[in-house]
Amino acid sequence: MEISAKNKIIQDLLPQKFGKPGKIWVSVLLLFCAVGMYAYYRQLTKGLVVTGLRDYVSWGIYISNFVFFVAISLVGSLITAVLRLSDVHWSTPLTRIAEIIAVSAITFASLIIIVDMGRPERFYNLFIHGRLQSPIMWDVIVITTYFFVSILLLYFPLLPDLAILIKLKGKTTTWLDRIYHFLGSFWKNTTEQINISNKAVNILSITIIPVAFAIHTVTSWLFATTYRPGWDSTNFGAYFISGAFLVGAGGVIVAMYVFRKSYKLEKYITDSHFDKMGKVLVLLALLYLYFNVNEFLVPAFKMKKSEEEHLLGLFTGEFSVLFWFAITTAMIIPIIILLFKGGRKPLPAFIAGVLVVIGSWFKRYLIVTPTLLHPFLPMRDVPANYRHYFPSWEEWAIAMGSLAGAMLVITFFARIFPIIPIQETITETEELAHEKV
Amino acid sequence: MKKFKIILLSALCLLLVTQYLFAQPIKNDLLLSLAYFNNNNQTQYLKATAKSKVNGKFQQVANVSIAFYIDDASSKVLLGKATTDHSGNAIMQIKSVASEIWKSSATQNFSVSTQEDKLYNASEANLAIVKAKISLDTLEDKSIVATLLELKDSNWLPIKEVDIRVAVKRMLGELNVAETATYTSDSLGMVTAEFTRDSLPGDSKGNLILIAKLDEHELYGNLTAEMIVPWGIKPLVHSTFNDRSLFARKGLTPIWLELLAYSIILIVWSIIIYLIFQIKKIIKLGV
Repeated sequence: MEISAKNKIIQDLLPQKFGKPGKIWVSVLLLFCAVGMYAYYRQLTKGLVVTGLRDYVSWGIYISNFVFFVAISLVGSLITAVLRLSDVHWSTPLTRIAEIIAVSAITFASLIIIVDMGRPERFYNLFIHGRLQSPIMWDVIVITTYFFVSILLLYFPLLPDLAILIKLKGKTTTWLDRIYHFLGSFWKNTTEQINISNKAVNILSITIIPVAFAIHTVTSWLFATTYRPGWDSTNFGAYFISGAFLVGAGGVIVAMYVFRKSYKLEKYITDSHFDKMGKVLVLLALLYLYFNVNEFLVPAFKMKKSEEEHLLGLFTGEFSVLFWFAITTAMIIPIIILLFKGGRKPLPAFIAGVLVVIGSWFKRYLIVTPTLLHPFLPMRDVPANYRHYFPSWEEWAIAMGSLAGAMLVITFFARIFPIIPIQETITETEELAHEKV
Repeated sequence: MKKFKIILLSALCLLLVTQYLFAQPIKNDLLLSLAYFNNNNQTQYLKATAKSKVNGKFQQVANVSIAFYIDDASSKVLLGKATTDHSGNAIMQIKSVASEIWKSSATQNFSVSTQEDKLYNASEANLAIVKAKISLDTLEDKSIVATLLELKDSNWLPIKEVDIRVAVKRMLGELNVAETATYTSDSLGMVTAEFTRDSLPGDSKGNLILIAKLDEHELYGNLTAEMIVPWGIKPLVHSTFNDRSLFARKGLTPIWLELLAYSIILIVWSIIIYLIFQIKKIIKLGV
């Protein structure tokens, strides 16, 4: 490969300073985070009474957000591990996008759990008095494990790129240079180092799949091990995992489009990538739709008295607008858009991805809240606001702040590190050129 | 014409208002009944029940204040007042203050009364009883002997031809000791019942409570006698509280779960630690 072509790739994929739109974007995200932090300050000082959470709905928008974060984090294992192990090479430019989404999402999943606690300073009690029998304990263990595995999976492929960035230190600012040196000054691109790194990535790719499945299965068990209408299901593990892959893939398509536009990466994130990811998304949407049919049609067919109120609330009652909105936007419309070749072009695919992400967020809300409002024993002698749930502005602010925080992590990561792996792109281009010869 | 309309309207209004202003509330009659209880020859008390006919059906009346009296030779002595509960029942023990009157005769008259209030008319009820008791004994062959006696001229004399129920107390009711539910007293006032419930679980020591009862007798009231016998089976209660289970406290995790969970944690974290060492190895190679 010619040096000029190699340099062109390096120049194209180097992290870039924020332009005007980037600065506006970061400012908006910071504003959301600041409002969220102020709302959390109010919650800490005044207590959970500032939220809409009461005796019956104790898991509201926070836990919905937690489930959403856990779900979207699964994309790291899908793009990086599953496609890598399947020897699929077209996904190479997308691996780092997927991995940073996974890391930021799992970080904020952990944080939002603490936000849901009325007394966060007692969090340590979970470790002192935690019972290994409790799915909550399994969730803590598996989230921590997934976080470290994802960090490693992000770090190993980054090493060769760090060496490239260090070489070009004249073109980077000082604080960035220090970060690059700290993280990767020892990488000399020797055969031995490359072999160790490749082996490590392979081990991680194998390890992350069961860990990723465990993280979302265990999250589903937080609900399914509780005997309540809507949660009492043996389908929950598979239902959650299929939904997680769907929202993760949707998130990657959105990120692909944004990075491609912002950093002018049309040459690296091509129409073909959108086409392929579009196909993946259709498959995942159909799979999730299948599990939804199972999850709702079977109990609706039996319509057990204890589940009737909950199901009718979703189909035609209090939550029906939200329910059908979630089903339509997360599955039906994206399937219709992406089934056609024209729909798998960047812009329509991006729109489908956005719809999937939004619909999936509301889907998590529908998994958590309606069930809590339909306990087996009737609600008696309780204040009127116990019978309904609508998040307070503090809850909205914290939830939106956490989403903004996750996006901020991704944005800053892309500012500091190449969002598309430079070395891997060079290697694959060289291999391709070699094959042609 | 206008004046006529005003007069007509005023008359109509007046008619409507007077209907409510001068309407007399309809009072119901209160039906009182009185019963006497002698529990195990230790506690004697009276139970009054207040009922009223509402829409053609008798219903128990709660929150009615009832005065209980014991009759002396010439006058009524107030035992006390009690208010009916949601079942319409009010209970009054025959207190020690009335013991002199109670001991003075073999028969006794009681009465209860309520005063007129906004909802009910005044009401009263009387009861005359003959003092009686049941004594309970057992034989070696697990036979139960119950003797029914009445007080006559300071002597306890047998009562014959009266049906007595012999049973064993259970948590939510009474179980007959044999197929026969009731036994008729003989000339000595005695009934003999055979205990055939050999496999009945008892309390922690294997004890059962036998009971002989006379229910709602018109002369003697409600009498019971109880006796504890070691005829039950000592239950073998195995508490699972401290067993290892999915629902147990911390430290009592099932072994299989501990093995499974710790094995998974160990394997995955060994891999993570191994990979961290690989990073160290890469660092060494690059220095």
